[in-house]
Formats: sequence, C-alpha cells, structure tokens
Amino acid sequence: MNDQTEMMMDNIGQFAKANINDIALKIEREGVSEDLYNSLIQQGLIGANLPAEMGGAGLDRTSYDAILFQLARASPSVAFHVFMNNSIILKILEKASKKDIIDRIVSGKIRLGLIPGNIIEGSSEKSNIIIEPSKMNIYIGTENASLIDGMPDLLKSKSLGLRGLKTDLFTSIKEGEKLLPYSDVEKIWNEASWDAAAIFLGISEGALEKAIEYTKVRKTFNFPLKDYEPVAFRLSELKSELEILKNTLFSDDSKEQMGMMLKTISAEFARRATKYALQFHGGYGYLEDFGVEKFYRDAVALNALMFRPILDKRTLAASIYGEKSGYL
Amino acid sequence: MDFDLPEELEEYRKKVREFARKEFTPELAEKCDRDEKYPDELRKKTLAEGLVDFSNPWKTMIAIEEMCRVDPGLGISATVPYFGAEVLMLHGSDHLREKYLSRVAEGKAIMGLGVTEPGGGSDVAGLKTNARKENGKYIVNGGKMFITNGSIADFFVMLVRTSPPDDPKKRHHGLSVLVVERNFKGFDSNQLKGKLGVRATNTAELILNNVEVPEENLVGEEGKGFYYIMEFFNISRVFVAAQSIGIAQGALDRATAFLMNEESRGHFVGEERKFKLAEIATRVEASRLLMYKAASYLFNYRPNPMITSMAKGYASETATFAAETAMEITGATGLQTDLERLFRDSKIMEIWEGTSEVEKIVISRMMMKGDKNE
Repeated sequence: MNDQTEMMMDNIGQFAKANINDIALKIEREGVSEDLYNSLIQQGLIGANLPAEMGGAGLDRTSYDAILFQLARASPSVAFHVFMNNSIILKILEKASKKDIIDRIVSGKIRLGLIPGNIIEGSSEKSNIIIEPSKMNIYIGTENASLIDGMPDLLKSKSLGLRGLKTDLFTSIKEGEKLLPYSDVEKIWNEASWDAAAIFLGISEGALEKAIEYTKVRKTFNFPLKDYEPVAFRLSELKSELEILKNTLFSDDSKEQMGMMLKTISAEFARRATKYALQFHGGYGYLEDFGVEKFYRDAVALNALMFRPILDKRTLAASIYGEKSGYL
Repeated sequence: MDFDLPEELEEYRKKVREFARKEFTPELAEKCDRDEKYPDELRKKTLAEGLVDFSNPWKTMIAIEEMCRVDPGLGISATVPYFGAEVLMLHGSDHLREKYLSRVAEGKAIMGLGVTEPGGGSDVAGLKTNARKENGKYIVNGGKMFITNGSIADFFVMLVRTSPPDDPKKRHHGLSVLVVERNFKGFDSNQLKGKLGVRATNTAELILNNVEVPEENLVGEEGKGFYYIMEFFNISRVFVAAQSIGIAQGALDRATAFLMNEESRGHFVGEERKFKLAEIATRVEASRLLMYKAASYLFNYRPNPMITSMAKGYASETATFAAETAMEITGATGLQTDLERLFRDSKIMEIWEGTSEVEKIVISRMMMKGDKNE
C-alpha cells in the first residue's frame, strides 16, 4: 500500500468513526441523510476519483478504493452511495463531457438517481430498479445511457433487502438526453470492478472484525467461543483470505482483467465471510442492534447491483481465453 | 422401499398448499414483515380449518413445509402457537394437559417454550434461572432470551434450575420444567425488534422477578427437566427441518419461475444458471429424504437423534444455500420480490433449535460412541 493510500485509509477510518459508526443503525432504518451526504461532499468524497480538471480530487485508484473499503466497513450503504456517484454516474458524465452537471453534483447542489437497467442482471420490465430516485436520473438502457429529467412514476416498492439505500421500481420513464453508447458504459462498468471489490472486501472486514471481537467475549460451556476449533479456525481462514485479497486490492496493479478477477472472487467471499460472521454471533447476530446482519444482507443485495454472475464472468473468460468464451 | 407419502397425506398437502396460497397474501406477508407484527387472525383461521393437528405429527410436518414454502414468517407464525406442547403431552399431569393444552387447541391461548437465556444459547445446562420452593410454591428468578411467542403467549413451558448440580461436571442435573403463566405476578416481557427475518413471528425476552408458580405446575419429575427438553429438541428439530425445506422449496419455485419466464421472453438462459437450479433441486430432495427418515424413526417411537441432527443441520444449510443461490440467479428481480424475504428468513434455520455446530457435535459424538445408523 503506498503512502497516499495509507493516509487515506487513516483519514476515512476517522471520518467513519466520527460520522457513521454512531448512526449506522439509523442509516439502515432511514437511509443516507442529507446531513451525512453533505459531510461526504465536504470531505471531498463525491468526485474523489475525478480528474482535477473536471472538478474532482484526482485520487489514484488505490486511494479511492481505500475510501470505499473504509466506508463499507462501517456502512455498506454509504459506500455504495459513493460508488454509485463516483464510479458510475460521474464517470458517465465525465465521458459525456457534462462538466456543468458534474460541478453541481460535486458541490452538492444536486443529486442524481441511477437506473442501472441493462448494466445489471435480472432487470425486467416488471422490476426495473431505481436507486436513490431524484429529479434527475441516469438511465442505462439497451443502447445508451441517458439523462432523464424528472422523477419517474414509482411503484412504492417496500423491499427490506437494501435498507440503507432508497430503492424503488418504476412503471415507465420518458425519453432522456443521450449521453453515451452502451459499449462505453460497459467499459466504465468493467473499470469499476476494482471499486466494487473494495466494497465487498470492506463489508467482509467489517463483519469479520465484529465476529472476532464477539467470539473473544462470548462464552459457551464456560469457554470463549474463540477457544473452539471450528470458530477459531474458520475465522482465521477467512481473515487470511481477506488479507491476501486486500494485498491485491491495494497493489499498484490497475489492469482491468485483474480488477475483474478480484471482483469475482471478492463478491463470493463477502457472502461467505458475512455468513460465518453472523453464524458465530448466534441469535444475537440476527438482531440489527449487533450490527452484523446488515453486512450479511448487503453482501447479497450488493452482489445483485455490483456483480453480474454471467456477464462479468463472460468478460473474465474472454480475457483469459483471449476470445469470446462461455456463452453456451 | 416406497418413497411416496400415503394418499391421505398427499391430499392434506394439497389442502394446506391451497390454503396458504389463498390466505398468505403478498400484502399480509409484506405488512407483517415490515411492521414485525404477529398475524393472529391467520393463527385462528389455520386452527379453524383444522390445518394444525398436533395429534398427527406427519400432518404437522407437511403443514409447516407447505406454509413456509409460500411465506416462512407467516407459515411459522401459523404453526407455532403450540410451541413446546410435546413436553406437556409426554410428561405433564392430566391436570396440566387439560388446563393448558386444551385452550391452545381451541385457539383460546398461545404457548411458548422458555429455555434459552441471555448468557447461553447452545449451553442449555448452563442456565441461570432458578426456582426455590417456598410454602408450596416455586419462586422463580432469572430471564429468558429469544423466546418465540414471548410477548403474546399466555403461558410457557420453562426450564429452570431447582437444585444445584450434585457434581460440577453434571450441570444438567437439578433442572426442572415448570408451566409459567404470563399473568403470574413478577412476569414481564419485551418484544425483540429489528430481526433480520421471520419478522412476522413474535420473539421476546422474558423477565422473571420472584414469580410465584404453584407446585402443581411442575411438569413430570423434579430434576428431569434437561432430559425432557433434549427429548423435545429431538422432535422440534424435525419440524425445523420442515421449515427449512419449505424455504428451500420456495426459493427453488421462484428461481425456476424466473428462468422459465426469461426463456419464454426469448432471453438466453445458459447452463451456468440451470446447473445452479439443479443443485438447489438436488439438495432440497436430499434434505426431504433425510427429514422423512428422521420423522419415520421419531413418529414410530424410535427416535434417532443422530439422523434428526443430520436432517435439521443439512436442511437448514440447504435453506440458506437455496435462498442465496436463487438470489444470485434472479439478480435485481430477486432483490425486489418476496425472494429477498425468503433469503432473510432462511438464516435463522441454522441457528435456532440447535445451531449447525451443535448438530455436528451431536452427530460426531454419536458416531464415535458407535451409535451408527445400522
């Protein structure tokens, strides 16, 4: 990890401690508040990875991923919020040279919602999901990404899966201003693989830290849980896997193929790590007060939004074979 | 060897399925999940239709599976008003059975089981709640945690310590079962809110502060409580296997429907997702066969704790596997449908009535005692 990234890890760790940890449960119940969003803006986290000439902080990949990692450790919903803005929305606007809108987003004057549409798997006319619906939204359709002015007609869906984010379904949307062809959006998506991996690994670290602390103090049959082989061995194995994956995340490598490899492994790892973390909390893990169930829930929910089990693996397979593969 | 259930049970299964599909409306399931509200009207309807029949455990098992297949929160809520009844049926006096169980059967009362405590889940014998005898009464002090029906049940079959263990290594000695009513002075409860899943079910913490329990409310013999509860877990674990298989089957139904819909719309469905579907289906089938085997031993009065633990452990892990894999298959669609609720509901299966780790302890201990399935 380079010095800049290490500093960013410390800074964002402090930021999360001061601004997120105490309200993590509130975020799960009510979403990311205006106050918290403004703190993200003031801290320069929205636009952190944009080039300086576009009004961003121009952070390198690892420093930006340190932000996502640390935020996900505290609140996966907040991390996804930053990812959605920086890695997808602002990248689309940057490529479409929409500096005026970028300026308004980075300064906190407007917030855009995202309709990921065809970029994620499982979208259909019945369940076209919109994340953080706003007066202005980016819609990723089959041929283009476009800017939709006005709020779509929402169905008032009440899923409890992604509690810290406002998500809904919509019936129809009007046509918007074309920004980019789909192929360019696909490229942005693939470049964001490192960032998605950072969130999956942050979720895993947040959950495993809680499990390790809990199993030190929780006793059963007169011994702390950590003294039992199945608990200590499993958590140690998971922590080892996590450290090895973090080494890749914070390495100097920024190749797209490695990013996709890391995302593929991290997405599955987050589901597995959070499951064990909850399991070793026993019944208490099932309660939101203990702060571990959100990691378990979000690891699966964010898999649906940041990892495509078919399309991403097809991209990975094509990069491994050097030609189109895994399509039958 | 015949793997088919008798026709009568298959007919019963159809009847339960039709009932659940009609009464477990999406609106009710969503409301109870969101508001963490126990569906009491549904409990009454289920009883009125004769769909919960604890005199016939095969029917109970099938009802639990079919109802959880439609919605686990509602399905468990509808089938759980009798929770702990077997302890009274097997060891309670005629007076206790008549006084308490008949009211539950008539739908006039709900019962619960009070075993788990704040400091000990798996370590049942380490419980701290104590009862001392005084003037023909037991005076009970302590607390219970994660008690199903905890803030709605009228009475609880409760495990307490009535005497210190005669040997520190035999902590399971000196435990007894009492029937404790909610309206006994000194009894209080707090509903536990903010659960990950099965939010329609009621879960609470019980507080027992000098609660006076009549001596006649002792179930069976004093000091035998641990054995009664372990015997009960051997029964209830089969029913948790049924809950788990219901969830897994429900996830399989939804994932299958999703892929069929995708194909009908001309979308490509590759073998990767079809293989995942096949894996869920295989595990559901294997879990069901294990459950039938455990049930067959148990319901024919030849309980086999090892097979029961295998059935419960494997079925519960199948439930989480199926729900998680179905979420992966369906992607964004799953996130916005009731499959997401099934996913949240599934995890508790690996925790309650003996964690997966406890089931493995039981299995390995019996294997090494030479108590194999022969």
